[in-house]
Amino acid sequence: MPRKKLSEYRAKILVNGALGISYVGWTVSSLDDVDAIEGYDTYVVKVDQAVKGRFKKGLVLLDVKRGGLGTAVKALLGKGYNSLIVEPQLDHDQKAERYLSLLRNRAGYKIAFSAHGGVDVESKSDAIETFALTDNFDWDTLAKKTGIAADKLQTLLDVFKANHFAFLEINPYVLEGKSLKILDIAIEVDDAGQYFTQLWGGDDIRTPNTLSESEQYIRELNDNSPASFSLTVLNPDGAIFLLLSGGGASIVIADEVYNVGLGDKLANYGEYSGNPNTDETYTYTKQVIKLILASKAPQKVLFIGGAVANFTDIANTFAGIIRAIDETAVDLQKHHVKVYVRRGGPNQEIGLEKIKIALEEHAILGGVYDPHTSITDALGYALESLKAKKK
Amino acid sequence: MIDIQKFRLTEAQIVVLGSHPQIIQSMLDYDFLAKRQQPSVVAIIATGRKQERYFWGETEVIIPVVSNLSLLREAKRKTITAVLNVQSARRVLSSTKQAIELLPQLQVVTIFAEQTPESHTLDLIELVADKNILITGPASVGLLVPGYLKLGAIGGTQHRQLSDADILDSGNTAVVSTSGGMVNELIHTVTGAGIGVSFAVALGGDRFPITSPAQAILLAEKDKQTKRIVYFGELGGSDEYEIAELLTSKKLTKELIVYIAGTVAELFEEPPQFGHAKAMAQTYDESATAKKKILKKAGAVVCETFADMRTFLEKRVEGERSPVKRTIGSRQRSMIVSHISGEKDETVRLLGKDLIETVEGNSVASLVLSMLLGQQVTSKKAIAFVDYVFRLLMDHGPYVSGALNTIVAARAGKDLVSSLSAGLLTIGPRFGGAINAAADGWLSGVAGEVSAQEFVESFARRGEVISGIGHKKYHIDLPDPRVKALVGFAGNSNGDRYLQFARSIEAITTTKKSNLILNVDGAIAAILLDILESEFDYDQQQLHELVEIEFFNALFVLSRSVGFTAHYLDQRRHDEGLLRLSPGDVRYIG
Repeated sequence: MPRKKLSEYRAKILVNGALGISYVGWTVSSLDDVDAIEGYDTYVVKVDQAVKGRFKKGLVLLDVKRGGLGTAVKALLGKGYNSLIVEPQLDHDQKAERYLSLLRNRAGYKIAFSAHGGVDVESKSDAIETFALTDNFDWDTLAKKTGIAADKLQTLLDVFKANHFAFLEINPYVLEGKSLKILDIAIEVDDAGQYFTQLWGGDDIRTPNTLSESEQYIRELNDNSPASFSLTVLNPDGAIFLLLSGGGASIVIADEVYNVGLGDKLANYGEYSGNPNTDETYTYTKQVIKLILASKAPQKVLFIGGAVANFTDIANTFAGIIRAIDETAVDLQKHHVKVYVRRGGPNQEIGLEKIKIALEEHAILGGVYDPHTSITDALGYALESLKAKKK
Repeated sequence: MIDIQKFRLTEAQIVVLGSHPQIIQSMLDYDFLAKRQQPSVVAIIATGRKQERYFWGETEVIIPVVSNLSLLREAKRKTITAVLNVQSARRVLSSTKQAIELLPQLQVVTIFAEQTPESHTLDLIELVADKNILITGPASVGLLVPGYLKLGAIGGTQHRQLSDADILDSGNTAVVSTSGGMVNELIHTVTGAGIGVSFAVALGGDRFPITSPAQAILLAEKDKQTKRIVYFGELGGSDEYEIAELLTSKKLTKELIVYIAGTVAELFEEPPQFGHAKAMAQTYDESATAKKKILKKAGAVVCETFADMRTFLEKRVEGERSPVKRTIGSRQRSMIVSHISGEKDETVRLLGKDLIETVEGNSVASLVLSMLLGQQVTSKKAIAFVDYVFRLLMDHGPYVSGALNTIVAARAGKDLVSSLSAGLLTIGPRFGGAINAAADGWLSGVAGEVSAQEFVESFARRGEVISGIGHKKYHIDLPDPRVKALVGFAGNSNGDRYLQFARSIEAITTTKKSNLILNVDGAIAAILLDILESEFDYDQQQLHELVEIEFFNALFVLSRSVGFTAHYLDQRRHDEGLLRLSPGDVRYIG
């Protein structure tokens, strides 16, 4: 659905390949992969997981000799990352660094160039020139400016279009005589286009975060279902737990927690949507409850919420949630968890009635509200319960 | 740009690309509650069936299904004003393009699928740029114009949701949302405050919604019924800067009340990607906080909470609103549908009239043809033809395999139904099934506009015989008298084009072998096609459908049943005991 980042390794293979430049590099996800690396004296080892500001975070190791590769790889994997890239270290003149990027926006495609590239290109943004790629674009002028041949630039655009790239940044590249040397590349792809391309696949997508066990579990649930699920743990010892439905409503509810100044108490963010089945909401709820029980916060509240659904069946989705609550009710009680619910949509009467009965039976009922109570008010009652207990 | 008022002035005729029964039912429920006389959905594009059944209030209606939009009759295509596209994201571009090409009166499209590639969306943006077509989506739950149109899941999918939501008649507040769930929440917030909705649209949470928020807000500005706009946006992208620009440049003069979601992103270490594709802020400008600030500065009412929005809207209430309340009672889906007969007001009805009335007004042949076609026929010519064919096909001697099987069973002491079934079960591709196959051949030959030469050669290449051609006994110098009699029914207003085609095939095949003449099956098929086309205005698609459901074989099966039954009774009357082959009848090799 969204834009995703390709691994640096895949991006370099793709772009160098398209421009007919030879490229040497290795992708490394375990110590065993180091064995295959050979042919150079000095290497650079980098985390290849779409992390911003790698240099500053110490995720790029320079001047690594062949014998030191194992240690370097071990060090970076030890920080919780699982994807690295190793390349021969090649020296170049930093002053000659240039910048080129391609992007797609609503109006079409744009190309940007700066003769002053490198890590701090954004601070020299005045030097960046942007060109809209219209049908009668003057490629020759751009070729003169960039030092890259017109046909190569056009090839780059073709590859970009045909393979559902959304953003491509070459920063920096240098010209050595007539030959072009690309030092770093970043590509964002539109992951909805994956079906239509052979040049990249799901394995090439990188995310910066190292995932916790629960987050990983929900990602797999998401990948194997036509419905969608997401979960991010913000504060493992938080007091406010959210079990939300709907892309828009879930942000609204999380926002309203943050906007009243309780962001530090917010344990998680996440949502399910697209009418998941009962087993799926059961699985999702179990993971959220696991987080609740693991939190060391003295008071805890679970808010099960969403807007007025158009087609997601409330009775069905709640059936899974209720099953998970039934199974863990004793523990939830022990942890003095109160549960608040606010939801509307198809079969809301049945869903809300059933969850109310279940919560009452387990003595963990905070409140159950239908759309006549606004999201804000229902959430307010839940947050209020935390304060009340403090006294 | 399209005018929302247009949707209030034209009664929408909707075709649904793909099928989503839950959503389609909700659209029909809305139509019914909003007192439309006929359902808005007039066709569904899907495979594997010819119709779908839905509730219309407490009764049922049928919506025709075709497998491709191009198969929808052109006259019907010209009436279509709206499309709901619920096909998968992979097919969004091609199916939407096709709809725009084939539907000249198209005004609005809703694209439901998530995960449409950005470049496909951009192609569609370019395609409709110079057309008067509003497209909501991708990933849109649709467009609602209260009292007039519900295109998509918007507003809910249960009739109770719809009747409870106060969205059956028009108000003065437009609702524009990038989120599908939130559009419904906003509708509830507006109506809950005591204000009616002028229209509501979900634009979808993709990076490039085909109708952008600013464009949707301009629709509201232009709409005379709309007094104010409620907008839900999210972090990510720069749409809200365009909206702010509309305010500062006075292109937008109506009151704008907004909620921008996404401040919680500040809690995350890396910029989080929320549920919608667009909902990610890489820079401060794209953050919810920055957007709220710029909109406030431009003069929008920026709500911090949903409770704020409700409170604000309550201040805008002018007078008591008495929402239209209508409900749908209990209803039950019937198991089958029949167009032939059934009970109504405790009398049995056949072909739309009282049973006795129908029986007394029809001969056997006219009743047979009427029932087989599912409509009362009056064409004298058609009835006379069927009468003749019915008599002609009754029997062809005990030699043929079906009659023989009936006789074998009868001699084995089996009862009437078993013996008749033994004969009927023999009817198939080699015995008795040729009329349908011949009709298929003549129909596809004429429809495909192939020459007789090509037609014959295509069969020869496949090593297949041409159904309707060839006879054991009769040949070109000894013509089949039955065929001669049948041809007496030619002279139809379509110029007998099927018979002409069959004759042109015969002209070629008889040069190869003199007995490859047009036979009874081939002649019946051709003349029946000519009669159906001339007397009943059947088009080729309808004729093809009759072939598919084996209509052309039905006449043979019915008529020959008389013959089988006669042979059964004959054998039982003069019972000779079990029939067994003698050793001389079987040659054993081994």
